[in-house]
Order: sequence, then C-alpha cells, then structure tokens
Amino acid sequence: MKILSLVDSTHPKVLGATLTVLRSGGLIIFPTETTYGAGVDALNPAAVQKLLSYKARREGKPLSIAVRDLEMAEKYVEVNESARRVYERFLPGPVTVVSKSKGNVAPGVESEFGTLGVRIPDYPFVLELLAAFGGPITATSANQSGSKSPYSVQELLLDLSEKQKSQIDLIIDAGELPHNPPSTVIDTTLSTPVVFRQGDVEVMKPQKTTTLTSHSEQETKDIAKRLILKHWNDVKECGLVIGLNGSLGMGKTIFAKGVAEFLQIPRVVTSPTYTYLEEYPFERHGVTGKFYHVDAWKINSDAEMELLRFSDLPKPNQVVVVEWVSNVALYIKKLKTEQKFSYLEITFGGQDHERTLEIKE
Amino acid sequence: MTESFILAIDTSCDDTSAAVTSGRVVCSNVVASQTQLHKKYGGVFPTVAKQAHRENLEPVIRAALQKAKITWKDLAAIAVTQGPGLAPALEVGIEKAKELALEKNLPLIPVNHIEGHVLSSLALRPPRRSILATSSTEPQLPALAVVVSGGHTEFVLVKKIGEYEVLGKTVDDAAGEALDKFGRMIDLGYPAGPVIEQFAQQGDAQRYPFPLPMTTSGNANLSFSGLKTAARTFTEKMQADHTLTKQEVYDLCASFQYSVFRAITYKLNKLLPPLLLGQPLFGVWLGGGVAANNILRQTIRRTIRPYNLQLSVPYSKKLCIDNAAMIGVVAGYKLERGEVMRGAEIQSVERLPRFEV
Repeated sequence: MKILSLVDSTHPKVLGATLTVLRSGGLIIFPTETTYGAGVDALNPAAVQKLLSYKARREGKPLSIAVRDLEMAEKYVEVNESARRVYERFLPGPVTVVSKSKGNVAPGVESEFGTLGVRIPDYPFVLELLAAFGGPITATSANQSGSKSPYSVQELLLDLSEKQKSQIDLIIDAGELPHNPPSTVIDTTLSTPVVFRQGDVEVMKPQKTTTLTSHSEQETKDIAKRLILKHWNDVKECGLVIGLNGSLGMGKTIFAKGVAEFLQIPRVVTSPTYTYLEEYPFERHGVTGKFYHVDAWKINSDAEMELLRFSDLPKPNQVVVVEWVSNVALYIKKLKTEQKFSYLEITFGGQDHERTLEIKE
Repeated sequence: MTESFILAIDTSCDDTSAAVTSGRVVCSNVVASQTQLHKKYGGVFPTVAKQAHRENLEPVIRAALQKAKITWKDLAAIAVTQGPGLAPALEVGIEKAKELALEKNLPLIPVNHIEGHVLSSLALRPPRRSILATSSTEPQLPALAVVVSGGHTEFVLVKKIGEYEVLGKTVDDAAGEALDKFGRMIDLGYPAGPVIEQFAQQGDAQRYPFPLPMTTSGNANLSFSGLKTAARTFTEKMQADHTLTKQEVYDLCASFQYSVFRAITYKLNKLLPPLLLGQPLFGVWLGGGVAANNILRQTIRRTIRPYNLQLSVPYSKKLCIDNAAMIGVVAGYKLERGEVMRGAEIQSVERLPRFEV
C-alpha cells in the first residue's frame, strides 16, 4: 500500500502513478466531492473481483461507475430522455444516475437486474484521471459495506482490517474532505410517460368520437355518470372497460369518482397508483357487481397485467376503469380479440380550469 | 407482555416481508424488495409479482426465524396481513400463513396493514441491542396516529389499542404518491420521494408558492390532486420556457415538499383543538413510508409543540416502509386479547382488499 499526497506532490506525478496502478488491475482509494471512493478498472474482471473482496458483505449490491462525461457514459448505459436531462442538470456533481446497462462492464459492476449507476464526480483530479485513463472506474465509497462514509484517509484506515489494507495498491490523499453527504441516486429506468403521446397505439377503431368540455370536477363526474348510464346494457351483458389517457392532474381519478358515484358506492374512491388496483362492490339498478379501478402508471409490460389478473375483470356486471391506459394499450387490444367486452376510451386535454374529454366509443 | 414469539408475514404490495416479534419487541424484520426483483424479468419491472412473492416468501420466512435465533417450536402464533393491499399479492401471504398455521398447529392472527403503520412507532428494539433500558411501559392513550405513505395518508385516533377512529384521510392521492409523481414531472426517476427529500435540503421552500389544498372544507380530509395539477401546470410552463437549472430543481423540490407537508400540518392544526376539547391526548404517532422523511418529522414536531404533544416515530426507517414487524406488533396485542383463529376457523380467513381500521 502506497500513499501519495495530492497536497504535497504535483498533479502530474500522482496522475501518472495512479494510471499505472489502474492499468495493472490495482485498487486505488481516491477523493471525490462526496467521500473517499474505492476504484478499479470497471472493465477488468479480476480487478473488480478484488474490489468486491475488499468491500466485503456486498449482499448483491451493485457498484457504480465514474465516467468523464456523457459521451463516455453512453458507451456503457442507455441514456433515455429523462436521464439525459439529469446529466445536463446535475453532472458533474453528487448524483448517481441509474440506467439500463449495455452489458459492457465487468461482472459484478452492474446490478443483477441489468441496471448500472453512473456518476461524473465534480472533482478536477478525478475528471483528469478519467480522461487520461480513457475508461470507467468503479465509484463506490471506500469504506467496507455497512460502515460509515470516510472523509479522511486516517478515518478510513482505522476502520479497515489488515487484509483489506493489503488489498489497496494506492491511496490518493487529499486531506480531510468537506463532509458532503453521499451521492443522491436517481433511477431513470422506469419509463412511465409524464405526458402521454397521443396516437402511439390504438386499442380500437372508434365508431364515433365525441369531444366534451368540462369546467369543473362536478362536470367531469357528470360526464362519467352519463356515459355509464348510456352503456348500462353493455355493463350487464358483457362488462364495460373504460380506458383513460391524459397527463398528471387532468382529472382521471375525478372521472373514476364519478363512475363510483353513479354506481352508488359509498366508499371514497382514491388514486390506486400505489396499489395498482382497487375493488369496490356495488348494487345499482338491480345489478350486483364490482367496480375495478386500475392504474397503469407504474406498469409497462403485459406480464404485469397478467399478474394483476386483469383478464378476469371484464365480465358481465363489472365496470373497469383503467388510468394511463396507453401504457397497456397493446395488452388490452389483444385481450379484446380474445374476450367479449365493451370498451371505450377517453383522452383528457386542456389547461387551467378547462378540460376536454375526447370520447371514443 | 410475556415472551410469546410471533411469526408475522406481510405481502400487501410490492415487498415480501417476514418478521419475528415478541410483544412489541422486534427480533427480526426481513424485507425483500420486489422493485429490484422484478427488473430481472424484463428490464423495467417494478411491481406486483405474485410469482415473486411466492419465490421470496419461504426464504424470507427462513431468514426471519434465523435472525431471531428461534425455531418453529418457539412460536406462539402466526400473523398475516389481511388487507388493505393488492389482492393477488395479499393472497400469497394469506395462503402461506394458513398452511403454516395448520401444519405447525399454531393459531393464526389476521392483521390490518394500516393498524400496523398506526402502531409502528410502538415497536421496540431487541433489549440486548439498546444501550439504554428501553421503556416498555405501555403507551398512554388516547393518542393520535398520522399515517403518511405512498398508498395512504390518514389521521387515526387511537382510543385503545384495537379501537380506532379515522378522523380524516386523503380523498384522492396519497402524500407519498404526490411526491413520486411530482418527481417524475421534473425527471427525478422513480421512486422520487427520497431524492426530493435530499434535494429539498439544498433548496428554498419559499421560492415557488404552491397552493394549499382543501383549506375550505370543514373536515380533516386531505387532497393532493389540486396541488399536483398546479405543480404540473407550473413546471410545464417553466420547462417550456427553459431547461431547469440545478438550483431550480432544488427549489422546486423544497417548495413542493413543503406544500405537501404543510397540507398535513394545516389539517393537524384544524383537528387538534376540537379533539383536545373532547379528551386529553398523550402523543402523536407517525407511521408510513414518508415518516422516514426528517423534514416531515420536524414539521410535525413544530406543529404539535404548542399543544404540548410529543411526536413518536418508528425506531428504524425499515419500520416505516411496508414491513412485517409492525404486523407482528399488532398481533402481539391481539394475542394478548385472545383475538386469534384456531383449527377450522383458520380456513375462513380471507383477504380484505380494502377495510378500515
């Protein structure tokens, strides 16, 4: 174990020594704008194994990588629109962006679920190092898993076993670092659309399209009630599914509340985003049935709809309202060819206090 | 309470959890997050796997027993979350609990998930791990529980353990959900609640005045959909105008989070004076995923101080998220009261997708 001081030595000298260690698969301890980090060549499997042994007790937790810039990041992860904005805003800086990995790093670096955290440390020496090295290095804190974050080399060494110390090839000592908290992790892998892009997938060819305007929550509820009444025979005969589209806060849950009011459900209908699906029994016009309120905001695969047992829901005497239906449009389209149920879709638009409801029947 | 070990199971939503408790003491609390597990099955897969609950449950139960250093012989009962929650997920836990209760000849205790959050601040560390002798004196009642999570936001009056009155709850989105959705609007990934908390510390909560919802309604119900809509309109206009800067994101996080918490404390200020006229209150208990947020804790502490009320919070953040230890704590009280199912009764236990405390 060798210690080089960034305070006493010149940058180029430390940089040269660090590059040599990294290139030969060695383990370095380096300063960042948060804590001291433990770094190895993230593409070298033997080096990564060494790091994992040093960290001890990882219990499957993934490592992150440090890169020079967005361009380097894109070699290792798929940067989606949402992630790109995070890079623009926060990096370099104390933020780790989780994206889908391209599978180019050594085993043990990405998570077992194929995601990878990327960081661009806001620390000039590290940025210089990454530029000179030309590839990613691992960016995990230098302490062993479960111990507290180290802000000085002395603090770190006190916490390490002799075996761990012997695994370190080089420590770059920059003195006591400001006690900034560890980086904030932003997971951008969930691709929920914030703004629905109309026309992505069509569940059905509408026979007719009506556009109604609502100026209040009450009016939106009234539209819902009229629609259910209009399709009451469908409810009784084959079940009715209503798909809702429109961005956050446009009144989709209000519409569902209107449906529940029509069905004389006494319970308060709340957003099912967290629980995916809520079930409400009802009795109305001689029909004893169930109202299902589904939210597909967090869903983007058919398998998840199957896990929810969605295909059991469209049945006679059952009303199903699906928020964020565009996320599962293909699934419902397919279900429609297999099962008989009535479907209508509403797209919410508008701004301020006015809403347009485009109803496809 | 006597030493009666309970194995508790919670599969109410995304996470699979098992715990061993004895009275209010948590001997182990194992949570396997499905958010991570599901990603395995196709890149982005954040949810509900009944399949995953099935795969996880047995190892999670084994781990809970192991960590508590007990065996099946030591157990006095099995407890399970009966609802509210997601039907296919709940069923996995209930089926398993029934099967185990019958096989091991143990009584079964069905528990309401919300009651778990309500009593979560009563949970105690195992004695050998606490430095000070934990006071195991029973809490003074009545108390007011505030449950704030991704799925629930409610005020519950705890008259006695097992006797509750919901004083107010959200009529649309839950507080945690509002935070997550706001995070998506400004590209903070999912779940965004914890990111917002961290960024808010670097932001100015007064910079963007978001509206205070439901101030006119006379009751203690909460609503976050109006706030969410206002935030959407506001951030869309901002983002159409320019790319948000880092500081703007920090300030938006601080301002939005402040508005969500202020909605909660506004209603607390409304409901406490009349409530205190009717009876004394001996404390405010905070529970639910958002209870892990330090700013929420501070905000509520400041609000209730003028009423001479103290805030109790769960001793670990793991007790805030969905977990089985809190289910075990509730079951400990039920066991003491003899509210258990035995023999043939056990088969009749069914999920209750949505029921009130």
